[in-house]
Amino acid sequence: MATTEKTTKPQHNKMLNATQGLKNIMGRHFLAIEQAYRDGKPTAWATSGSPVEMLYAMDVQPMLPENSATVSAAQKYSKNFIEIAEAEGFSYDLCSYFKTNVGAVLSNAGMTEGGTRKPTFMLSTDVICDTHVNWFQVQAERFGVPHYSIDVPHVVSNTSNRQYNYFKKYITEQLYEFINFMQEVTGHEYEEEKARKVTENSWNLSEEWKRIYELRKNVPCPISTRDTFGGLFPLFCMPGLKAPIKLYKRMYREAKERVDKGIGALKEEKYRLLFEGIPFWYALKYFSTLEKYGAIIVYEPYTYAFSKYMNPKVTKEMVLSKPIEAMSELMLSFWYIYDLKTRIKKFAETVKDWKIDGVLMHENLSCRPNSCGLYDLKRHLYDDFDIPSLIITADMNDPRKFNETQVTNQIESFIEILEQRRKS
Amino acid sequence: MQKIGIFDSGVETPEEIIMAAGLVPFRLFGDPTIEPEKANEHIPPTHCIWTRNLLEQAILGLDEDIVGIVSSHGCDRTNREFDIWLECLDYKFMYFLNAPRKRDDLALKFFLDDLNEFKDQLQETFKVEISDSKLEKAIQKMNKVRALLREISEFRSKYLIKGSEFHALVKKAQQLPKNEVLDLLSTRLNELKKAQNSLRDGMKPILLTGSDIDDSEFLVLLEKLGFHVIIDDLGVGTKYFWDSVNENEMPLEAIAKYHLEKPIHSTKFPSYERFEVLERLAKKYEVSGVINVAQKFCEPVLYDHPYLKKKFKELDIPYLFVEMTYNRESYSQLSTRFSAFAEMI
Repeated sequence: MATTEKTTKPQHNKMLNATQGLKNIMGRHFLAIEQAYRDGKPTAWATSGSPVEMLYAMDVQPMLPENSATVSAAQKYSKNFIEIAEAEGFSYDLCSYFKTNVGAVLSNAGMTEGGTRKPTFMLSTDVICDTHVNWFQVQAERFGVPHYSIDVPHVVSNTSNRQYNYFKKYITEQLYEFINFMQEVTGHEYEEEKARKVTENSWNLSEEWKRIYELRKNVPCPISTRDTFGGLFPLFCMPGLKAPIKLYKRMYREAKERVDKGIGALKEEKYRLLFEGIPFWYALKYFSTLEKYGAIIVYEPYTYAFSKYMNPKVTKEMVLSKPIEAMSELMLSFWYIYDLKTRIKKFAETVKDWKIDGVLMHENLSCRPNSCGLYDLKRHLYDDFDIPSLIITADMNDPRKFNETQVTNQIESFIEILEQRRKS
Repeated sequence: MQKIGIFDSGVETPEEIIMAAGLVPFRLFGDPTIEPEKANEHIPPTHCIWTRNLLEQAILGLDEDIVGIVSSHGCDRTNREFDIWLECLDYKFMYFLNAPRKRDDLALKFFLDDLNEFKDQLQETFKVEISDSKLEKAIQKMNKVRALLREISEFRSKYLIKGSEFHALVKKAQQLPKNEVLDLLSTRLNELKKAQNSLRDGMKPILLTGSDIDDSEFLVLLEKLGFHVIIDDLGVGTKYFWDSVNENEMPLEAIAKYHLEKPIHSTKFPSYERFEVLERLAKKYEVSGVINVAQKFCEPVLYDHPYLKKKFKELDIPYLFVEMTYNRESYSQLSTRFSAFAEMI
């Protein structure tokens, strides 16, 4: 025990040791892609929010260009790629993930720069945004590959149960059609037993992620965004595989150890924040600057949303016995796309459960679906629940749209407000 | 007469169902003379300017005969902003119609489910019965409107009616009670049949496409610069009267099919099929060029633009793309680009 303590001694202001293993896990993902090309195995691009599990179940290697776009941003390539896409005629106002991908493809970028190779086919869905569908339309046409898109009806604040049921039916029918599409394109058969195993792994991955999130309720919080922003990626790219489950278990154990010893991710935790939206991938270190104010982000709906199995109606039994129907239900009730009324309610509950002092909202110039409703959300949180929020305008992948000085000034003023509230 | 306001970035709202409920379908249009100040308190200023304009009008107060709103799914804006409309407005009827993105058999079945739900909610809210026979009558009436508009539209290619006047007529057809619309269109058609004075006078025939332009003054500006909108593929245009609803099928099914079979908008999938219609129209009407206008932040049109540019280049048809802010001052700022294009073609 003493030896373990010595090697895994918790340190403040650092990511978990276990999170370092993420590099290996993601490395495996990229190697699997390379291997698929070497073996002539079918590959597919998939948008986030789409049922990646179905690809694994059909022995198709998934690639997620959004994930690759964040790699470009972190490696400081995204600005260049975005400008290449703009030179092709894509507007300054369009999604920076999309433009990063266009530029990366046109530059023939390698995977470490965020490049993505020509797939066998593409799978998109508008569950999160229209952009996903338009994006893959652009690139499927460029590569000349087939593209299947899942049309997900939109749940709004007054959608009835009656409507919800035929929405679900429509998605289910499309998922079965998608299986036929894959069988035709790849020649692979759909095997229920394999689908069940993949789904079980996906469920278990989600459960581990949720357990990690539960630990963040503790004061002080054992985990910061150093662990969650990167830790998110297996949920995107590898739901259905076993390796990331082990990683999350290790992350959980180490975080639990911190909790048991009363050690937080910050040396002195003063303010607990929620961050709504997608982070600035080109400036992830910026989030660490919050630490100098004693502020820590303890919840991000974005990273939590991708644990996927959040709808209490979707049980493990349902997931295993009716994976397609369960997937339809999940696509309709995805955290990231909650209608405004549910979004407000969920925020209020989260703030209470995770003991949050204030909310940072990213008005993301690239993600209008997510930005839409933020003003009303902010107003409701304050008027109905006395929760203060700050809206920051920036972009997830385009560094040209991030004014660091302005954002810092806003955050400092916000921290002062939190301080005054605490005094009073 | 009670009206249902229609918030629709395309024209996929089934007016026949509203008419069969004894209500007047009334499509909401923007007002380029106002700034969306109140709407900006709800929606970021970097989001679609046209939808913010509609919300501004809704907050300030819409036509007093409007008793309900139906918003049809177009792009991300429509569904996300519908919740904000629910926040800001207090109508007894508020319906979000999930007009499907796709056009296949599954989408048709789904759309039929949603049209049935729309019908049921109208019946429940307004305590009316929407029978098949009422729907059939409404379809017949709408088909007459469509047929008249199609006939009048052809006078554009004879240079006997200006594009701007025709555009204003289509707008009226989307707001007035349909009996009035039929009178208005019949009268104008009879006049046009006798008309002889060509408006050609060196005007250059163009195909107008892009976001759903709803300000006829924009077309007036184009005319002043020497363009004649001989044809379009807009919601305030040919998409509204492209074809007729089949009168020999079950009414709701016929309505659903009608909307899924007409030319696709950039908000639907696969939107690249829009080009096939544009190509056909450009060739049929022998246009000198194509003008594609994106309202500021209109993502679907912005995504399609490079593809359309490439395809029109392959056809050797001059193509101009502009992004436009929804106010009349910005139109004049674009004059130089339009003039240069007029010179080029």
